[in-house]
Amino acid sequence: MARLQLKNLHAKVAEGGEKILDGVDLEVSSGEIHALMGPNGSGKSTTAKVIAGHPAYEVTEGEVLVHLDEDEFEGMTIPEEKRIWNLLDLEPNERAAVGVFLGFQYPVEIEGVTMVNFLRTALNAKLEERDDLFEEGEEAETEEEAEDSGYDTSPMEGNADEGDVGVAEFQELMAEKMDQLDMDTTFAQRYLNAGFSGGEKKQNEVLQAAILEPSIAVLDEIDSGLDIDRLQDVSKGINALRDEQGAGILQITHYQRILDYVEPDHVHVMLDGKIATSGGPELAERLENEGYDWVREEAYETA
Amino acid sequence: MSTQLHANLTEEQVREISNRLDEPEWLLQQRLDALGALSELDMPDVIRTPGRNWTNLYDLDFESLVDPLNAAEEKDQVGPDEVEVMSIAEALDDHEELVREHFGSVIDPQENYLTALQTALFSTGTVVVVPDGVDAEDITVRTRMNSRSLFNYTLVVTGKSSSATILERQTTGDEVDGERYYSGLVEIAAGENSNVQYGSLQNLDETSYDYTLKRGHADTNATLNWIEGNVGSRLTKSSVETRLLGEGSETHIVGAFFGHNDQHFDVASRVWHEAEHTTADLVTRGVLDDRARSVYEGVQDVGRDAWNTSSYQRENTLMLSDESEADASPKLIINNHDTEASHAASVGQVDELDLFYMTSRGVSPRTARNMLVEGFFVPVLEEIAVEEFRDDLSELVAARLRE
Repeated sequence: MARLQLKNLHAKVAEGGEKILDGVDLEVSSGEIHALMGPNGSGKSTTAKVIAGHPAYEVTEGEVLVHLDEDEFEGMTIPEEKRIWNLLDLEPNERAAVGVFLGFQYPVEIEGVTMVNFLRTALNAKLEERDDLFEEGEEAETEEEAEDSGYDTSPMEGNADEGDVGVAEFQELMAEKMDQLDMDTTFAQRYLNAGFSGGEKKQNEVLQAAILEPSIAVLDEIDSGLDIDRLQDVSKGINALRDEQGAGILQITHYQRILDYVEPDHVHVMLDGKIATSGGPELAERLENEGYDWVREEAYETA
Repeated sequence: MSTQLHANLTEEQVREISNRLDEPEWLLQQRLDALGALSELDMPDVIRTPGRNWTNLYDLDFESLVDPLNAAEEKDQVGPDEVEVMSIAEALDDHEELVREHFGSVIDPQENYLTALQTALFSTGTVVVVPDGVDAEDITVRTRMNSRSLFNYTLVVTGKSSSATILERQTTGDEVDGERYYSGLVEIAAGENSNVQYGSLQNLDETSYDYTLKRGHADTNATLNWIEGNVGSRLTKSSVETRLLGEGSETHIVGAFFGHNDQHFDVASRVWHEAEHTTADLVTRGVLDDRARSVYEGVQDVGRDAWNTSSYQRENTLMLSDESEADASPKLIINNHDTEASHAASVGQVDELDLFYMTSRGVSPRTARNMLVEGFFVPVLEEIAVEEFRDDLSELVAARLRE
């Protein structure tokens, strides 16, 4: 059981200084699906990026905490003093190791790095980093040791068979996950997002979450640009993250339509950099019918 | 600006080198003519941007770099039975007429100061002769330089409808006091309908200054493909060039370099379309770290008679540090309107968003950067048909990233 907790989170653009988040409070626990909605420019994507450690934003106040149970990660007992982490103290790759995943609205295209190679590297790196962060009594590695790269062979052929998860084992895992998501297995040998359609990129984000098994997945507008078939595939993948892996989902979206397939337990509306109101699935339906004006009016009345 | 950089070179030295190789008179005369021309010749052209010569060859101390009578090397020259892969001395014994016909026919020995210096002083070399209709794979020339200076000459002549794959590698072996100089000229005469792939991988140590000029003539329907990898040396000035002289001829020039520390690469790819229906594709990618610098010049020159030309050029440089510097100058010279041509060049840093994407998935920043760099070279690696060369180059890149 893990819980992501945003406490009074304030953030601004690192260069330029425009304030975007103005005191966000939010909690997402394992097994829950939360929808974060709001008009353009309200701060939804910034919230996601700040959670993952995007360098373009600077946090000026508040905390982003992850609370873990002792048995959060398979095969590992987490000592009591290492069960609460402030993500703001961690690098992006360390945030991944404590169980946070960010699904990008606009995934980058990286030529020359195959999907299979990248994901196996990421999975092994996450497991290795997790050992470093959580093993009791072990001194942290020096920065140099921690950054030793295991990328030994040609990127066209894949890494040497090292790390916790070997090549054969990983290929099997990946094929299984791709099958579950109705993805063409030839994608495994393609370069990361290169030449993928918008829908394929989003499906690929869900595939990566399925393989990396986060405790909390923050999915930034994963539904944008999807046709109805692909929307169903992606939704199936998101539900599996929750139902089969027990992940908590923070689903950022503009539209009700993905929530027809991924039913949220909680819906939050963001306005002007903070959560203006929260409720159940019925809140999303009302937003679909009435827009955001009423939320703004209520928020100003209570202010 | 002509130069007089080398006051201590003598005719006696040149005669001694020629004598050791038991050369014919005509070649000795070529050497002496080149020696005599040194004082009149300029250094090869370099790229200039306002206020700056990117590669200052005039500052090299040839007096101390060049040690003409003490050249030492280890060389492997191997190839399949059906082709002749010979030392220059053997070639002069067995195929003097052929060497005489081609020596200096592709690269003018007195083209500039460095080609003339090379002609006067070369003491080692390889001649590859591929007969008509023969397919020759796996011709390998490995040169390990063990002296302060080494002047190396390569001549490749392919017959009608033949093919040849040649890999040449330069490394340094025994250490010497001070800095060193490697010079290599490569002339290729690709016969009608022949197909030549010539790969070169330079990994000299970083006390070495390197000048290489590789140029080929492609006859009717011939294909001349070059692969040029530069990883080593303190300073490299290297140019790979094809003259498409025959109708329907093609060339593909693939280049890669990876500089670190204080390395300097001055690389060029040049093609002259001089006949109808000719095709060229020039692809170069380079990575720079630390205080390394690079300058690239690419020239596609479409002649007046080169009807129906296709000519493409791409160059990209990736900088890994704020202190590294790069400049690129792609040039199109078109004298025939029946031409399809394009050229593009870019210089940039590792993309911060790419790095964030990868690290957000758990990959450490260092590994992410290394994967991006290796991935950056992949479009070049994919152009390399010879697996051994591709593996060697990617291993050198990976090794440098792990340093």
